[in-house]
Amino acid sequence: MSTAVIETDRLSKRYGSSRGISDVTLRVRRGEVFGFLGPNGAGKTTMIRTLLDLLHPTSGSARVLGLDSRRDSRAIRARSGNLPGDFAYDERLTGRELLAFFAAVRGRRDLGVAQALAERFEADLSRPLHELSRGNRQKVGLIQALFHEPELVILDEPTSGLDPLMQEEFLRVAAEQREAGRTVFLSSHDLDEVQRVCDRVGIVREGRLIAVEEVAAMRERALRHVTVRFADPVSDGVLADVPSVEHRELDGRTLRFRVRGEIDGVVKALARHRVEDVEITRPTLDELFLAYYGRPS
Amino acid sequence: MSTTATRRPARGAIVGSPSSSTALGAIVRRGLRDQRRAALAWGGGFGAFGALMVAIWPSLEGSMSELVDSYPDGLKEAFGIVRLDTVERFVDAELLSLILPMALAFLAVRCVVQATVGAEDRGHLDTLLSLPVSRRVVMIASVVVTGALLAAILAVVWALTWLAGTVAGTGISASTLASGLGNVWPLAMVFAGLAALVAGLAHRPSTATCVASGTLVAMYAIDLVGKLADAAEPLRWISAFRYYGSAIQQGFDVGHVAVLTVAALVLTIAGAALFERRDVL
Repeated sequence: MSTAVIETDRLSKRYGSSRGISDVTLRVRRGEVFGFLGPNGAGKTTMIRTLLDLLHPTSGSARVLGLDSRRDSRAIRARSGNLPGDFAYDERLTGRELLAFFAAVRGRRDLGVAQALAERFEADLSRPLHELSRGNRQKVGLIQALFHEPELVILDEPTSGLDPLMQEEFLRVAAEQREAGRTVFLSSHDLDEVQRVCDRVGIVREGRLIAVEEVAAMRERALRHVTVRFADPVSDGVLADVPSVEHRELDGRTLRFRVRGEIDGVVKALARHRVEDVEITRPTLDELFLAYYGRPS
Repeated sequence: MSTTATRRPARGAIVGSPSSSTALGAIVRRGLRDQRRAALAWGGGFGAFGALMVAIWPSLEGSMSELVDSYPDGLKEAFGIVRLDTVERFVDAELLSLILPMALAFLAVRCVVQATVGAEDRGHLDTLLSLPVSRRVVMIASVVVTGALLAAILAVVWALTWLAGTVAGTGISASTLASGLGNVWPLAMVFAGLAALVAGLAHRPSTATCVASGTLVAMYAIDLVGKLADAAEPLRWISAFRYYGSAIQQGFDVGHVAVLTVAALVLTIAGAALFERRDVL
């Protein structure tokens, strides 16, 4: 049996004024959390909607859970859960009514792990959707994607609208899906989120998949901005001998530089000085694209 | 708590893809629950109108025939007005010749469009189609719910009208009234089917509603003009209203009902097939 849960071959979708996706060839392995990273409008949602057969491919093909994405679309959706990018449904329904309806369509007799998920996400399933904030509606959306414990979970910008605590909870839930042998395909424009939970990341830009990398390798490649304020004056050549440091700028007792890859050498070099403050900033998506592509998104 | 579990199907799950009938049943049940108020509001409104008509019939009974006799023949032919010598014929002229069929046909268009293209426009279809349900089933469910809603409205109109007629001592016939009201259902369902066809092509609810409602008005106009002008008479066969007639005056025409029902079915099937093939934007 193939270990690929999602497998696309030169998958393209062009429609209307949208750029869509172009020649995307991708394999997502069983049991991994795969991040699909790109800026807004890069084609992430088009990719997901094509996999789910909401959009028919212009060319190329896709197999999901070993099934043809067009011919076997219903069977694929029976075995998967999906959170659309802009989760919306009849706002008169309460969360519980919505889940009961979805369970009935799925042919289930119960709500699976919905209640447990609701407790973890602190979601109120007793109120109509129109009374909920965007973040609380998103929680209901996450629950409906997960409550039936599907083999594959497809999530389009899942943490959108969630507060930081709930974002953390979501990342834990995503990791648990992997531990249970399930596959998560997570679309995001948040590099930090993707790096924290994903095993591998596909980077999409202007509808094209420009790289697929292990997160560990991506961290190696990714740069970080560091600002260090020393307690005492330092020489101009401070940290100049650390290989991963670049673009140093010393301003009085404040040193700004970038670290590419390993940060251990930086920490050891800084330990030789008295340091008042250190600030490390992760790269923006644009900077990541620079690293991969030579120009921003 | 953890959501982790073994990879065996969870308790309560039905293994594999649920059947289309399971999804259809669930969507129809949900749709019927959503339309309960509409059935009471529309049925209550038209039922009250019907009740008013039959309630005032005893005071008009003597003068109506003379009034109708004074109408021009062309007008009487165009609107199917015959002698208003019974309460059922009075209800037919006041409620069933134009107002109720047009209103219910428009409601049918609105219901199907809202459940399909409207759901697409609001982003609900993305969520619904994340479930193991085909677009074809969504379309068929919308027409089934519309059919049930129309039947419920007609039943409420029948009940209120018959009750008022009986209380007013008009001697109104329950079966004649039922055949007159029942005759509206296949006509309105043709426009539910037409809305399904348009929804299979259009992506905007306003476009779908305009095209289907415009066709409704055009069909009525063609039938009317065809009755008034001999030259336009052959065009009437393309109008659903040509097959509507009046069940109260001429009896229930099984042939015409069959034509309308088959047209509704064909339009719905074609609409479902088109909806299945097109992208959901």
